[in-house]
Amino acid sequence: MVSSFLSRGCVAKEHDLASLHLRRDQSLPVVLSTEVTSADHEGYAEGVVTNTRFGSFPHSTMIGAAWGSQIRASKVDTGSRGRKEAMNAKAKAKKRKAEALEQSQSRSQSRSRTDTHAGDEDAVAAAAAEVEVEVASSGFVHILPPTPENWTISLPHRTQVVYTPDYSYILHRIRARPGSRLIEAGSGSGSFTHAAARAVFNAYSATSGVESVGKVFSFEFHAERHRRVKAEMVEHGLDTIVHTEHRDVYRDGFLVHEDEENRDRKTSPQANAIFLDLPAPWEAVPHLTREHQDGKPSALDPNSAVHLCTFSPCIEQAQKTVSSLRRHDWLEIEMVEMQQKRIEVRREYTGLSYDGMRGANAYAADVDEALVRLREVERRARDFHARTLSKRQQANGQRQQQQQQPDVGKLPFNGGKLVHRTEPELKTHTSYLVFAILPRAWTEEDEATARAKWSKHVKIAPSVPKSQRQMKKEAKLKSRGQPQVLNGRVDGEMGETTTEKTNAGTGESTPRAEAEAEAEPEAEAEAPGGLHV
Amino acid sequence: MAFATIQPFQYVAIRLPSENIRVEQIVPNGQINLGKYGSFHTNQIIGRPYNLTFEILDRSEAQDGKELRIVSAAELHAVALVEQAETEDAPTPRTDLDDTGAQSTPKSNVNTHDDPTNQKLTMAEIEALKQDDLGSGKGLIEKIMQSHSTLDQKTAFSLAKYTLRKHKKYLKRFCILPLDVPTLVDWMMADREFSKIMEMRNEAVALVGCWANIHASDPVISLSEASQSSRYLVVDDTGGLIVASMAERMGILHQQHLEDGIAKIEEEDPDEQAEQPEVVPLHKDKRQQHRQSAMSAASNSITLVHTNQQPNLSLLRYFNFDPNNPTPSHPLYTNLRSLSWLQLLEPESDLTYQEPEVIAPEELANAKSNRRSAYYRKRRRWERVKTVVDETRAGDFNGLIVASYTDPVSILQHLVPLLAGGSQVVVYSPSVEPLVRLADLYSTARRTAFINAPAEEKRVPSEDFPVDPTLLLGASVQTARVRQWQVLPGRTHPLMTGRGGAEGYVFVGTRVLPAQGKVEARGRATRTKKTKALTDPDDEPSQLSFKKQKIATGEAVSAHTASTLPPSNEDLGVEPMIVEQNGES
Repeated sequence: MVSSFLSRGCVAKEHDLASLHLRRDQSLPVVLSTEVTSADHEGYAEGVVTNTRFGSFPHSTMIGAAWGSQIRASKVDTGSRGRKEAMNAKAKAKKRKAEALEQSQSRSQSRSRTDTHAGDEDAVAAAAAEVEVEVASSGFVHILPPTPENWTISLPHRTQVVYTPDYSYILHRIRARPGSRLIEAGSGSGSFTHAAARAVFNAYSATSGVESVGKVFSFEFHAERHRRVKAEMVEHGLDTIVHTEHRDVYRDGFLVHEDEENRDRKTSPQANAIFLDLPAPWEAVPHLTREHQDGKPSALDPNSAVHLCTFSPCIEQAQKTVSSLRRHDWLEIEMVEMQQKRIEVRREYTGLSYDGMRGANAYAADVDEALVRLREVERRARDFHARTLSKRQQANGQRQQQQQQPDVGKLPFNGGKLVHRTEPELKTHTSYLVFAILPRAWTEEDEATARAKWSKHVKIAPSVPKSQRQMKKEAKLKSRGQPQVLNGRVDGEMGETTTEKTNAGTGESTPRAEAEAEAEPEAEAEAPGGLHV
Repeated sequence: MAFATIQPFQYVAIRLPSENIRVEQIVPNGQINLGKYGSFHTNQIIGRPYNLTFEILDRSEAQDGKELRIVSAAELHAVALVEQAETEDAPTPRTDLDDTGAQSTPKSNVNTHDDPTNQKLTMAEIEALKQDDLGSGKGLIEKIMQSHSTLDQKTAFSLAKYTLRKHKKYLKRFCILPLDVPTLVDWMMADREFSKIMEMRNEAVALVGCWANIHASDPVISLSEASQSSRYLVVDDTGGLIVASMAERMGILHQQHLEDGIAKIEEEDPDEQAEQPEVVPLHKDKRQQHRQSAMSAASNSITLVHTNQQPNLSLLRYFNFDPNNPTPSHPLYTNLRSLSWLQLLEPESDLTYQEPEVIAPEELANAKSNRRSAYYRKRRRWERVKTVVDETRAGDFNGLIVASYTDPVSILQHLVPLLAGGSQVVVYSPSVEPLVRLADLYSTARRTAFINAPAEEKRVPSEDFPVDPTLLLGASVQTARVRQWQVLPGRTHPLMTGRGGAEGYVFVGTRVLPAQGKVEARGRATRTKKTKALTDPDDEPSQLSFKKQKIATGEAVSAHTASTLPPSNEDLGVEPMIVEQNGES
C-alpha cells in the first residue's frame, strides 16, 4: 500500500489521509472515504461528511480534487439527521415513558431496525448519485496533503508530543536517512514516528531493489497507545515502513518479532539510529550494546556506527543517562536543549489619523503631528474663550472632517509600520537531548585483515572527480608520452590508473610524496563556496 | 550504508585534540600531516570504522606496519568515569565534603595565585622533553603535571580543566568522522568562513529539510505513477550546502562505491561523450552502462535555479561531485538538474537553448572526427538544456527551498506558480527582515485586499502585490537554536561561550490552489448580512437578527464568534466584504 505521506500523487484519492486546513495552527486530519463505515457518518444524504465550524464538507466534493485546492462548503442537512438519531436512541432506550411501555418489545425493535436500514440505503444511494451536493453560500477549507508537520499539529494527544524543531534536529543529528534502521521507544502520540518514517523511507518493500530498506521499529509499553499507533500506521499506509511492538524495553530489550506467525523467534532490528523518549533511558541503554552476555544477538547494526538520542525533560534524567552511556562505551556524548521561537509579523499603526480604530495606537506618529494637534487644541481653547461663535463652528467642522477621513473601517493592509516579535505563546523548554555515538565493534582480527589489505602500496582506480592539478598532470603526461597513454587505452585503463602505473614504476616514494603534496595545499587553496564563476 | 568503513578517496573530517576539525581526502598510499600532532599514512586508516579515536604511536612502539593505536572508549572517558564513581558512592559531593570537613580542609581557590613560577619546568625543558618523547605525549603530560607545584592545591574542578587543557595540547590523537552534512556544517561553522554558507546552522538545515517535506521516493512506485514524485526546486547561495542537505534526505548524496575499478574507469565532461570510433569494443560496453545522460532523472530530483551562468556548488566537492566535471557514477549526475534564471524566464535569449543546425548524415560521415564529436556534443547539450528548461517551465514541483541573498520576493514571484498544490515553500535567511517582508506580502489582510480589488488592479506584480498573495497559505516565520550543556558529575551547566552572529530564520508557507470565483468565509459575521440586518442603529436588535439568521442557515457558529461581533455601527454603508481567511482577522 502506498502512503499519501510519501507518494501523494496530484489529486486526493479515496482512503488517503488529508489534512483540512481550517485556520492557522488548526487543521483536521480526515481519511477520505465514500463508504459509511462508522455510526458517526450515518444518516447523511451526501455520504460521508466532515463537519467543521466553517461548514460541512461531503467527502465526495474532496475526492478527486487536486491537493491544495480550496474546497467550498456544501449545504448539508445536519439538523434532521440529528433528530432521526435522537429518535432511534429513544426507541432503543428501554422506554421510560408510559406510552412506550404500551408498545410491544418486538414492535419497537423492528422499528429501530427498519430505521437504520433506511439510513443505510440513503447513504448508498447518495454515494452512487453524488449529484445532490449543493454549494453553500459561505465557508471553505483547503485540502492539504498530510505531512509529519501538519500531523504533529493536529494529532490526537496521548502523551507529550515531540514537536517539529526538536524532531527535525534529532533526526538530522542521529543521521536518519533513506535506508536507515531506526529504533523508537516509546511511540507516544506518534508524531516522531511519522517524521522518522519519512526520514528513513526509500522503498515500500525490498523488491524495489534498494540496498537496505529504511525501517522504523517503534516500541510502546502502554497497550492502548500501542494499539492506536499500530492502527494509525495501517490507516496512513506506513505499516510496511513502521514496525510497531508492544514491549517494556527496560526489561525485554529491542529484539523484534518481525514474523507475525512465529512469535518465539526474535530477530535483531539491526538499528543504526536510536531515539529513546522514555522516563528512564539509562534502563534501556544496557540492551543497546554490541555484545550481550547471555548470547542474544545485538539489536544494533554490526556494520556501522550507531547514533543515539534520548529525550528527557529533567536535568537529573539527562545526567543519569550520560553517566550510563559513558559506562557503556558510547562516545561523543553531548547534551543540548532546543529553543524555538515563532515570529509574529504584523503591522503597527500609530498616528492620530488612525484614531478610533481597533488595534491602532492613538498616539501621534511623530512630533510634528503632535504639534499640529496641540496647536489645534490650543487654538480652539483660545477661540472658546474669545467666544467667537462663527469660528468655533468652523473648527468643529474641520475636526469632524478629520475624524471621518479614516472611517473606512479597516486598517489599511499597506499602511503603518511592519514589525515583528516573538509570538505570545512560547515554549521555553521541551526536553534535554542527549546525543551519543557507538562506533562499530573492531576486533584485533578485523584490524589484522584491514592491515593486510592496506599495509602496502595499493593500486585502485577511483570513480571520483579529478582535481585541476590531476588533470593538468595527466595532460602533461599525455603530451609527453603518447605511446604510454595509448597502451593504457588498449588495456582498457585510462587517466588516473595510467598515472598510478607510471608512478608505481618509478618507485614507491614518488606517489606518496605526491599524494602528500596534493592532500595538503588543495584543501587550503580552494576555499569552499569561493569559486564564484 | 555509505559510512560502514573509511573508503579510499572519501573526504573525511579529522578531529584533533584541540577540537578543531580538518577535512581531508583519503588518497590511498598518501600521508596526512596534522602539524604538531604528528602525521600518519592514509593506508593505516582505510578500511577501518569511523568515529574511532586513533593515537599516533611512538616510533619505538610502532611494529609490523602498525603506526596507530585505537584508543578505547573507557580510556577516553577515564577522567569522567573516575569522578562519576566517586560521586556516585557519595550521592551529594558537597555535603560529603562538609561532613568530613573536620578531617581535611576542603580544597578551594582561596590560596590559588596566578604565578608563572608555579610551573617548575622551563620552556626550554618542555621543548627538550618534547624532542625526547616523540610519541603520544602522555609521558610529557605526566611530567608537567608532577612538576606543577600547586597541583595539590587545585580544586577538583580546576584540576580536571587543567588536565584537559594539557591533554589537548600534547596528546597525539585524532578521530575520524564521516563527512556528511551535519559534520560539514559544524566544520564550516567552527573552522571556516561561516558566511559562505549564509551562517546556516544545523538547526536551520534540519528545520528547512523537514518543513519543505523533502524525502526520497520509492524507485518502483515513482516510475509507475503518472505524476512524478519528489521533484524539488531550489535556489542556493550557500555554495551547495542546501543542495547537499536535500540530496542527503533524498538518499542521493553519498556514493556507495568509490573504489570501484570495474564499473567505472573514466570520467568525462557530460558534453564530451562523443562517439569515438577508435575505442575498442570492451570500452564501448562500459560506456553503455553510463549512457544515462546527465540531468535525465525526472523523479527524486533537485532542480537548481542559479543567478550566474554556472551554478556555484563548490561544497559538493566534499561529496566527490564536481558539477563542472561530474562523475556519471554519482547519483547527482542524473538527479541534479540546473538552469539559469535566463534559461527559465527567457529561454529564447539563451544561446544553449537554440537548436544547433542539423548537419546531414552524409556530410557528417565525411567530416573530421573532432568536428563530428563537436557536433554531437553540441546536439547533446542542446537536448539536455531543452529538456531541463521545458520540464522546469511545465512546473508541478513538490517543494521549493530558497537560501539566497537575492530578494526572496522576486524569487517567489517566479517560482511559486511552478509548484503543485499542497507543496511547501521554505525560505531561509540569516536575518529576519527579508522574511518579515515576505510574511507581510502573504498576510491575510493583503490577501483579502487582493481578492476584493477591482479586476484592473489585480495585477501581479504591482506595487501593492509583488506576489500573488492567494497562492500561499499559512505563511509563518520561525527560528530555532540549540544550547549546549556540559554534563559532568556535579558540574552540569550550559556552555559558557557560544557562537553569535546570524540567528537564522525560516519562512514556511504552503502552495494552494484558490477556488475560482467568489468565495466567502464563514465563522464571523459577513458585513453584508449585518448591514442588511442593521435596520435599527441600536445594538440589541442587531445581535438578535444575527442569531435569527444563524438559525435560518442551520449553522453552528460558535458563541465565541457571536460575542466578538463588533457592536459598533461603523460598518454602515460599507461595501460587502469578501473575507478570505476563515474566522481569522
